[in-house]
Amino acid sequence: MQHLRASCCQTSCMNDSELISQILNGNMNAFTFLVNRYQKLVVHITGRLIQRQDELEDVCQDVFLKVYQNLDKYRNECKLSTWIATIAYNTSINYLRKFKKVVEVNPDNSVALRNLTDYRSDNYERTDLHRYIHEQIELLPVQYRTVLTLYHLEEFSYQEIEQITGMPEGTIKSYLFRAKALLKEKLKFVVDENSLNIVKEITHE
Amino acid sequence: MNNEELDKIIEKSFRIKPDFQLSADFAQKVTHSVVRREQWKNDLYEYLYLTGVIAVLLSVAGGLYYYIDKVLIMRFITFINGNVLQVIFVVFILNFIFFADRVLLRLLFRSLPRPLQRRGERVGIL
Repeated sequence: MQHLRASCCQTSCMNDSELISQILNGNMNAFTFLVNRYQKLVVHITGRLIQRQDELEDVCQDVFLKVYQNLDKYRNECKLSTWIATIAYNTSINYLRKFKKVVEVNPDNSVALRNLTDYRSDNYERTDLHRYIHEQIELLPVQYRTVLTLYHLEEFSYQEIEQITGMPEGTIKSYLFRAKALLKEKLKFVVDENSLNIVKEITHE
Repeated sequence: MNNEELDKIIEKSFRIKPDFQLSADFAQKVTHSVVRREQWKNDLYEYLYLTGVIAVLLSVAGGLYYYIDKVLIMRFITFINGNVLQVIFVVFILNFIFFADRVLLRLLFRSLPRPLQRRGERVGIL
């Protein structure tokens, strides 16, 4: 038991390259630790893309399986998190394509963006404004959701997002700007001062 | 409403984590699944390796014995030619028993993972 604890402590102190070499040497505790370290990143990307809680675990498991199988091909050319995010992104996109769950929407198509519903105070309680913004994010086309998650939630740089998704930097910036502008437009005319205070409360500002 | 305030609110809401969650023992489950797959692969390689070694040993032994007792080997070949189906059946059954012992039964009845070999390292069997 003490040996196991010591091993867990050792792995928790490791940096990524040490962790990788441990995994390549067959240390499965190190792999468990790697999964623990990066599972949030994978869940955020995969969850936002496939949007199905019931299938999320299977897809995430598939991502980490690919990580393990290809770990010997990882060449330190980018951060491990970027590499894992790339695998998560590709796996999710393939999953969506495979099961034809992706509506092939052109992200520039304004119809897709018009799906966003207007905020109406009679539909939503004031305290649900936070939920409303979340719902609107989930309604955005998959490319918008991806860049929003990678940039704002995971704090990847434009270059890293380019590496992960293969989108040009200009497109990434454009999606970020437009997603924000769109939500802003939806909220601008409806959020009164009281709601604003509630939102501030919710977001602990 | 102040434009900057609205910007802040939206940016903040972008940073709020989505509600998607994995089970608490997800990492253990993934590790177990990886270990099982790797062991299945190792077992399969081990079986193929052993089968190859046995086939090579039999061929070499047969080749050497050909120079010692040519008549016996020729009789043996004649026997195989005369009973092709039976010989194939017996070889198939023996091979299947060997496969079940080295791969199938291990896959079906192994619950706890054993330590893995170093990745890329062949299983030491001889």
